[in-house]
Amino acid sequence: MNLIHCHAREGGHLPQIKHLMNTNKKRRFPAKPGMTPLVFAFFATIAVAQESPFQFNGFVDTYHAAQTEWPHDMTSSRTRLRTELRVDYENAYLFASLNATHNSVLDDRTGVQLQEAYFNYTNSVLDIRAGRQIVVWGVADGLRVTDLISPVDYTEFMSSDYDDLRMAVDGFRIKYPGERVNAEIVYVPVPRYFQMPIQEDNPWRPDMPENATFDFPEGPEARFKNGDFGTRLSFFLSNFDFSVSALHTHNQSPVTVANYDIEKDSIIIHGVHETMTMFGGDLSMPLGEFVIRAEVAEYLGEALGYRSNFDYARKNTFNALGGIDWYAGNNWTFMVQYLHKYIADYSDELSAEKNTSEMTFRISKELLNNTLKLSLYGMFDIDNLAYYGRASGDYALTDQVTLSAGYDHFGGKRGQLAQYKKNREVWAKAKYYF
Amino acid sequence: MDLKMVKKGAILVVALASFVAAESLSGRDIVQKVKDRPDGDTRSSELQMTLINKGGSKRERKITSFAMDVGKDTKQIMFFRYPNDVKGTGFLTVDYDDISKDDDKWLYLPAMKKTRRISGKSSKTDYFMGSDFTYDDVGQRNVDEDTHTLLREEKVDGVDCWVIESVPKKGDEIFSKKISWIRKDCLIAAKVEYYDKLGKLHRFLKVEKVVQVDGFWAIGKMSMENVQTSHKTILEFGELKFNIPLDAKTFTVPRLERGL
Repeated sequence: MNLIHCHAREGGHLPQIKHLMNTNKKRRFPAKPGMTPLVFAFFATIAVAQESPFQFNGFVDTYHAAQTEWPHDMTSSRTRLRTELRVDYENAYLFASLNATHNSVLDDRTGVQLQEAYFNYTNSVLDIRAGRQIVVWGVADGLRVTDLISPVDYTEFMSSDYDDLRMAVDGFRIKYPGERVNAEIVYVPVPRYFQMPIQEDNPWRPDMPENATFDFPEGPEARFKNGDFGTRLSFFLSNFDFSVSALHTHNQSPVTVANYDIEKDSIIIHGVHETMTMFGGDLSMPLGEFVIRAEVAEYLGEALGYRSNFDYARKNTFNALGGIDWYAGNNWTFMVQYLHKYIADYSDELSAEKNTSEMTFRISKELLNNTLKLSLYGMFDIDNLAYYGRASGDYALTDQVTLSAGYDHFGGKRGQLAQYKKNREVWAKAKYYF
Repeated sequence: MDLKMVKKGAILVVALASFVAAESLSGRDIVQKVKDRPDGDTRSSELQMTLINKGGSKRERKITSFAMDVGKDTKQIMFFRYPNDVKGTGFLTVDYDDISKDDDKWLYLPAMKKTRRISGKSSKTDYFMGSDFTYDDVGQRNVDEDTHTLLREEKVDGVDCWVIESVPKKGDEIFSKKISWIRKDCLIAAKVEYYDKLGKLHRFLKVEKVVQVDGFWAIGKMSMENVQTSHKTILEFGELKFNIPLDAKTFTVPRLERGL
């Protein structure tokens, strides 16, 4: 495997939107920049004034997907300019990335969005990062067990690269960067929740009655007690790496509760987000050509919806993931993951089963001096006997230009993936780096 | 005793001793000498790789590398600067001298904001960033992973060389044998031929420039050609520095994630 070019798409876990209906609520876009641009401008001024080194780069990409079934409607069509600026100043640097997007399928996705903007300071014992940033925990590929800080944008399901699905949060991270031990504390004053495909014109919106409206918050009320905070202790050892973590957070994926508005003759779907506490750990251990990955977490007080859709409960759940990566040589890579969730103190009223599980796999092969990469990715919702598969190819035309194409297949008996059968699609993408 | 006689006798003894020492060197001894060639306790360089395909089109990769010896083991950290799709990617390795121990490897992918622990075994035989060099070629291959035989001595471009045949002890390597011409003056290969499993010439390494920096011999430029596909990689080392101040914290996952 060309390890360095391992920019493979990572699959996300199933967005929990099976109760969703349509909406007339517009999401906040462009994203609210908060204080980070001011911080950026201040330090950029200092940096420029002192002629500090800076790096400016980015890419332009264009992605288009069409349903394979008649009438071959477009499921995605967007072109984006990403610019990234890094300004170094002694032990500190400032990083900002901006997306300027034109989306011809989802009008309200057209605009300029501040992806990340943070200030980073490092010395021998501390690494401090403040501002809009993406925080990634754990060792899982796409699936979320302990990786609960940065939410996911499922507005276009999984048509974006996994790094684009991740949403940045406005927060602070302080890290002790030891030789073998890493200790980190994260505080997010105003958390953000998942973004879901709930707009009426969104091809990824699940089929729902027309007289339904949505009330999905984008985050909790900006109060101190609503902040997310957590800590993680990581060890990088010769034979294996492991981490332990604890996080006070919210269920970022909404639990839906429905109310009927008699006056408007409308069903209102509320997105419920409650606080919860996570205690977890992860392990990554090479064994010859294999790497074993494992992640476990106990969620205390996780909100779970009722089958009736009229209420929800808070339960303790146990979540465990096991994965194996096989670096088979000759540019072959195989990865498989299994995720299991167990709900303690189970009630039959819950919409979820007591035990649920899903699997993902990925096979990739690189050819032509690593200029061509062929991949096959699969996700199985075992309980609903539903699946999603993606076959794709990426060809590096030059050092700057990569062309990609693929086919996404959905199927199964029930559940959200089965609902997406209509969105079986072919897609093409071109990316130019500068 | 005549002083001249003593001097002549001494010279003769030293010459004979040298001759006997040279004659008694085994293939393994020479390869060990190559591995033990002084290169400082720490070192850094700027690598530029040019990949040229059969049609003549070129691609480039630029890397900054730091390395430090810890006993017989070597730690190395590399930061990728070009092309932009891999810019910011970091690669940390600990090469163990112990043949029974796999290397430790971590890869940081900036797009994913994530460091991956990767296999220290299999990647050695894969090609490095689409080049004609394997991870093994650019890393530290353990001397006892191969059986070395001194075939003969001959000159390459007027420089005296030992010709060594090295055959892997395990069957999972991408070459069945390699023949190296080791320069006696600086203990650097002048050229290496790699043969495939069928015994056919597969790749050809040519060291085109040897430099001496701060008293240390080092490769300034070399090329590797896959003669079966006519794909070629030129690797140039710039900004070579030895015994620079580096500490253990340079070779850590947090440093990998922080970048250059």
